[in-house]
Amino acid sequence: MKRFKKIAVYTSLALLPVLANSCTNLDEKAYDTLLTNNFYNNRNEVVSAVLRPYTHANAWITPGQSGWWRLSELSGDQLAWPQKGRHGYDNGQWIRLHYHTWTVDESTVLNCWNLLWTGLGFCNDAIGNIEGRDAAKMGLSQEEKDGFTGELRLLRAFHYLRLMDIYGNIPIVTTVGEPVSPETKPRAEVFSFIEKEIKDNIDKSPNLSKALLGRMSKAGGYAMLAELYLNAEKWSGTARWDDCIAACDALINSTAGGMNGALALDTNLTDTYKPNNDLSKEIIFSIAYDYIISNFAPQWPGDFYHFNQGQINGNPINGNDGVVVIPGVYTTFDDADKRKKEWLLIGPQWKYGSNGTDPVIASGGNEYDGQQLVFVDNIRKNAQGSTVSDMTQGEENSGVRFNKYRLGPLTDPSYRSCDWAVYRLSWIYFVKAEAIMRKNGGVATQEAVDLVNTIKQRAYSAADWPAHAYTTATLTMDELLAELGREFIFEGYRRQELIRFGKYTTGTWWDHNASESYRELFPIPRTQLQLNTNLKQNDGYPN
Amino acid sequence: MYMKRRLVFLSRICLHSIWMLFLSMLAFSQSRTITGKVVDASGQSPLPGVTVQVKGATIGTQTKVDGSYTLNIPGGSVSLVFTFVGYKTTEIAVGTSNTVNVTLTADVTALKDVVVVGYGTQKKQEVTSAITSIEPSDFRQSGARNALDLVQGKVAGLQITRTGGSNPNTSPAIQLRGVTSLTGSMSPLIVIDGIPGGNLDLLQQDDIASISVLKDGSAAAIYGTQANGGVIIVTTKKGVKGPARVTYNNYFRKEYKSRIPKFLTADEYAAKIASGEINATDKGYRTDFVDLLVNHDNLTQNHNLAFSGGGEQSNYRASVYYLNQEGILKANERQQYGGRLSITSKGLNDRLTSQFNLATNFNKANLLTDGGNLQGYYTFNPTYSPYNPDGSWYFEQTSTNELARINQQTDIRQQQTTSGDAKVSLDIVKGLKGSIFGSVTRDSWTEGGYADLLSELSVENYDSTGYAFQASFLNIKYAVEPTLEYNITVNKNHNFTAIGGYSYRYEVEQYFDANNYGFVNDIFQENNLGAGNMLLTGKAGMSSYKNDNKLIAFFGRVNYNYKDKYMASVILRHEGSSRFGANNKWGNFPALSVGWNMRDEPFMQGVTFLDDLKLRAGYGVTGNSGISNYSSLVTMGTGGNYINPDGVWRQTYGPNKNPNPNLKWEKKSEYNVGVDFSFFKGRITGAVDVYKRITKDLLENVTTQLPPFVTNSIYANVGQVSSKGVELTLSGIPVRTKDFSWTVDVAFSNSKNTLDRYSNELYTIKYQSYADIGGYGALGNAIRTYEGDRIGNFYGKRFAGLTDSGDWLFYKADGTKAPADQLDSEKDFAVIGNAVPKVYLSFTNTFKYKNFDLRAFFRGKFGYNILNTMEMFYGSKASLPSNVLETAFTKNGKITGGYQYSDYYIEKGNFMKLDELTLGYTVPFKSKKTFQSMRLYATASNLFIITKYTGNDPDYVRDTGLKPGVDALNASDDRTPYMGTRGFMVGLNVGF
Repeated sequence: MKRFKKIAVYTSLALLPVLANSCTNLDEKAYDTLLTNNFYNNRNEVVSAVLRPYTHANAWITPGQSGWWRLSELSGDQLAWPQKGRHGYDNGQWIRLHYHTWTVDESTVLNCWNLLWTGLGFCNDAIGNIEGRDAAKMGLSQEEKDGFTGELRLLRAFHYLRLMDIYGNIPIVTTVGEPVSPETKPRAEVFSFIEKEIKDNIDKSPNLSKALLGRMSKAGGYAMLAELYLNAEKWSGTARWDDCIAACDALINSTAGGMNGALALDTNLTDTYKPNNDLSKEIIFSIAYDYIISNFAPQWPGDFYHFNQGQINGNPINGNDGVVVIPGVYTTFDDADKRKKEWLLIGPQWKYGSNGTDPVIASGGNEYDGQQLVFVDNIRKNAQGSTVSDMTQGEENSGVRFNKYRLGPLTDPSYRSCDWAVYRLSWIYFVKAEAIMRKNGGVATQEAVDLVNTIKQRAYSAADWPAHAYTTATLTMDELLAELGREFIFEGYRRQELIRFGKYTTGTWWDHNASESYRELFPIPRTQLQLNTNLKQNDGYPN
Repeated sequence: MYMKRRLVFLSRICLHSIWMLFLSMLAFSQSRTITGKVVDASGQSPLPGVTVQVKGATIGTQTKVDGSYTLNIPGGSVSLVFTFVGYKTTEIAVGTSNTVNVTLTADVTALKDVVVVGYGTQKKQEVTSAITSIEPSDFRQSGARNALDLVQGKVAGLQITRTGGSNPNTSPAIQLRGVTSLTGSMSPLIVIDGIPGGNLDLLQQDDIASISVLKDGSAAAIYGTQANGGVIIVTTKKGVKGPARVTYNNYFRKEYKSRIPKFLTADEYAAKIASGEINATDKGYRTDFVDLLVNHDNLTQNHNLAFSGGGEQSNYRASVYYLNQEGILKANERQQYGGRLSITSKGLNDRLTSQFNLATNFNKANLLTDGGNLQGYYTFNPTYSPYNPDGSWYFEQTSTNELARINQQTDIRQQQTTSGDAKVSLDIVKGLKGSIFGSVTRDSWTEGGYADLLSELSVENYDSTGYAFQASFLNIKYAVEPTLEYNITVNKNHNFTAIGGYSYRYEVEQYFDANNYGFVNDIFQENNLGAGNMLLTGKAGMSSYKNDNKLIAFFGRVNYNYKDKYMASVILRHEGSSRFGANNKWGNFPALSVGWNMRDEPFMQGVTFLDDLKLRAGYGVTGNSGISNYSSLVTMGTGGNYINPDGVWRQTYGPNKNPNPNLKWEKKSEYNVGVDFSFFKGRITGAVDVYKRITKDLLENVTTQLPPFVTNSIYANVGQVSSKGVELTLSGIPVRTKDFSWTVDVAFSNSKNTLDRYSNELYTIKYQSYADIGGYGALGNAIRTYEGDRIGNFYGKRFAGLTDSGDWLFYKADGTKAPADQLDSEKDFAVIGNAVPKVYLSFTNTFKYKNFDLRAFFRGKFGYNILNTMEMFYGSKASLPSNVLETAFTKNGKITGGYQYSDYYIEKGNFMKLDELTLGYTVPFKSKKTFQSMRLYATASNLFIITKYTGNDPDYVRDTGLKPGVDALNASDDRTPYMGTRGFMVGLNVGF
């Protein structure tokens, strides 16, 4: 008994300090989470942080989520997401985008804000962490480190460019979390900041090459300058046509590299959009996908594809039967224009590979359940014999459909891997042509005509071409806007173009009437205005 | 002084010994044998285990199972004292007869005597907080799918809602006294035999001795940071001293469809195609699709066999069970078996007590069906067939052939849960007891499933190459809690009981899953995942996680009792959790409560009808640590693969949240005032409680400034919710005769739960919206709560009639009518109802006639609304040509507009249902040699419901949490639709 007591006493005395320490220790051990303090220790970690904004850009720059693309295209004169029977009302958000009646509480507007600023935050976070660390400690040479930060600063400028496009007057933030409530800067000041950032970093950034597939580069920097100067009159109040032409020339002359050899136009008009378009010569900056190797696939089928679309394409990818071409746009394409047949989908639909023998049957309990799927160039309740055509009167087959980018059939070795082009050389040709015409008082010069014809000619056979080639007389500003629409349909630039041509709020199309001039900018989302009192609402919108 | 007291003590012991020696000598010389039987006054049933003692002596015995006893008593005038827990102690002078039969009456003033409170028990009389204790005889008897089903509707203020209906694989939603959190855990802490965070799978209804609900903060504060949702303490049955006893219980249950929504039958649908009202193809079949999913042969059976017994030093109870539950839907089953063992033993001259419990549950669940498959089949064109003409399954891209799915896919989960705990207590010196409690609960499962090559899933998504997956999960919880208890009486009448302790709890959880496709045949199923082709191409999936958390606390409680008249209790818990920000890991949780037993006051002496009257008042602070692990750390999250300069696609990383080093506890402070009463010799008993609780610093993902932050939300302490209410528990015995008795039990509660605030000095939220309606047309959230609003406010458009063409019109703020797209959700929408019942009411009528007993249990909810999305989605022509409810052509026949959420679809949810009707018969055995007791019973559950609500059974519509009130077939926002059922069961309880 005595011995037992002794043992008990000594044991408890020995245990006491151990207990006292571990008894109140509440530190967390993170088993499956990375702590930021412990990151950026080697090259792979750095690269993984540099590339984070790109996978995020997929969310806002391509169709499929409410980002820059949806606000830019669904408020324009080419595309809309009409209600189709029981589908697609979606709280009226697509209807309000189309009619230009969005509110300061609009979820599409808020979502775009959040997506873009989050992407910008990824840039800021990586820039801050990489710039604040010694190159050697990250396993990088100084040149590599500068290359990464240069690229990230260009990419950040790209985010600012698109934010400025949508919202106009925005804060300028370069450090995560500081200041907590940044103030709105006028659009001209944002313009200057972007211009300076691009110019300061364009030469630090690497030339475009295959190794930079899907990433910002020196070439991307020039494309950004071209966009910035093309819209400078609107954005900064001062026209910059010569600067714009110079930026275009840097790309047309391929001074900043190319993805597949020198930057050059694709000869075939489907090459830029096919499943293996990483072989395109004209893409300057894209969001890269590879479903086969990496399971990273485009998100846009959700917006464009019908519920049974996969059968047309020989794959299982269907969509929400959302975005369609506005009635009347289809007929602006000439029948001889190959883009009409290659990029748009109309009429009875057949299963992939059946050569028009095996119809695609609509299923899912909608208007044409059990019948062949036939896309039509109108938006009205044909099943009920109605002729009323507006945003609420669609059916499951209403509207001509998107067929520009191709996923390919299941058997395609590049299935679901087509990259989404943000900048392509054809667009630079048009930018330069427009700058020349505007510099020339809105009248085409032969140089401008040649630039546009170079692109347009790809869409016509040799026999058809002479009848459709532009001359300095036929390439009016209105015709340029129409041709921009045909060449760049679905690519996201329509709102910017309409604003530049003064048509965005004054024009009418289908069931859309002219809107208030302040609608050229989207409102600052009300939730953010309420949180950050240093933000200023855009003119015309309530606080 | 000390020496003197000690001498007195010693001399007292000597005296006692001598006296007892003397008595026993007497007994030896003149003893005689008394026999008799002890029965219960109300039912005349024998009472086993009653202590029979000679007054003033140590001679005593206990009654046997048939209530009989035999005792040798000394000569002379002797009195026998009969004592039994829950009964009045009865003293009888022994006359000349050698037979002394006694009838014991229940001690209503003791009110079931002992109540389990946190870290101990208390005499009911001493309790100063709002605690409700439910015994097995009061349990619901319709065959529990979860232990808490047993007390549904039995505890005023405790809401238990089966949103998954009778699906055996779902747990009920549990909420006590309203919502106490926005994003953290809202469920009460479950404590099973001292194991905090106990696993309900380990509880079988036949093993439960009592369920004690600590409702207010003054009772729950001893559990500190996990007690915001209240505490439910479950005590399992233990062995008692006496001969070995065997009990066997079983039941068999069959379920039938009830309250099936009235979609058009195939014939009606075909007729409408013929008449042109539906524009669809009549394929010529007449199929009742939903009926194809019903398991008409369902049978649920439960068997439980328990052995118990014990001696002077130790006792034991062991039980095994088998429970096989078949849902009303095919491929929806749960089969479980397991056991529970408990041993108590004493040593060191009864100074050392040890208690060991071991419980385990093995279950196998078929998870393929959960009711989510009903919608597709209800709405399917009933002139179609699930088969093609050649007998193969009919598939189409946009729907799922549910019958094919349950034939061509599998999804089985096999789970094992085990808990073991031990408590060793030592009486150190008189009044001082030291204990150490330790427990471990291990919960693990593996789940696997396979879709055949030719299944729809495989054909449409996996290139007809099958799809297989496996997942595994492991959660282990440890607890170590040493305590010291001290009991002292000062100056005779001042009794102090104190307990102090330390609690260390650690929980670790890990998970793994993998999936693959690209199989050549269906042989392997999910048993050879690596055989699929997709590992090579990167399409095979794999994921895992692991995280842990720690809770450390120091706690203490002092109870004071003066003559059983005035009582007070003080609690303090100091607790820390690893989950919180570096600046706020620790919190303090104090409580104070007082009680006053008025019956013994002089001024109450004349009030003869009063048996007992006690006033209680308490205040307590509790917390909530039920948030995600690692919530306050600065972390990097994966962003998906992207192409690297070397052409290889690698994972990207970026910040995935805005860190908040100031993250701190949600804290609830609660006031509770109550009265316990008993009148007319126990004919009327009950309790009334009034409470007000305020929960502050609620955690919510608040929108933050973006820019400059990376994401637009931060997890921060911003909100405040409060609730106040009245709870009434009442039991009455209107009739009580020798052969017949009628008892009524009522539980009533009324509460108001408001969201007071969403803001703190940094962040402001104007409102939050909840309850995603889901389904077609993306109608958004049904509920919007502004600061100061009641929780559960429906917020939407106000119906103003239809246009001539049948399109919707709604009221604008200025009273004019307008179509939907001209309404501004900020200005023109309004509060159009509330989804949280104001009143919960249940009452039980129990009739006993001789050996028969009949019980009818009614349960209802009142003063609230439900959004009838059944009408909204399926009672609308907008849904055509999918099948629709009959009302699409009748009640809603004029509507041609698309889906719109408005008060047109808001209905009153009020209902009262006959939840349980049980008829039982207790077999009166003359001889108890083989059988000691036997009861047969038959129960019908959900026999009928009285309600004006036109959708599904309103009882299954969620009424707890922040997103209540949406009735639906779709599974949006965690809803768990299921088929309504009515159950019939028979059962048997036998004791050997």
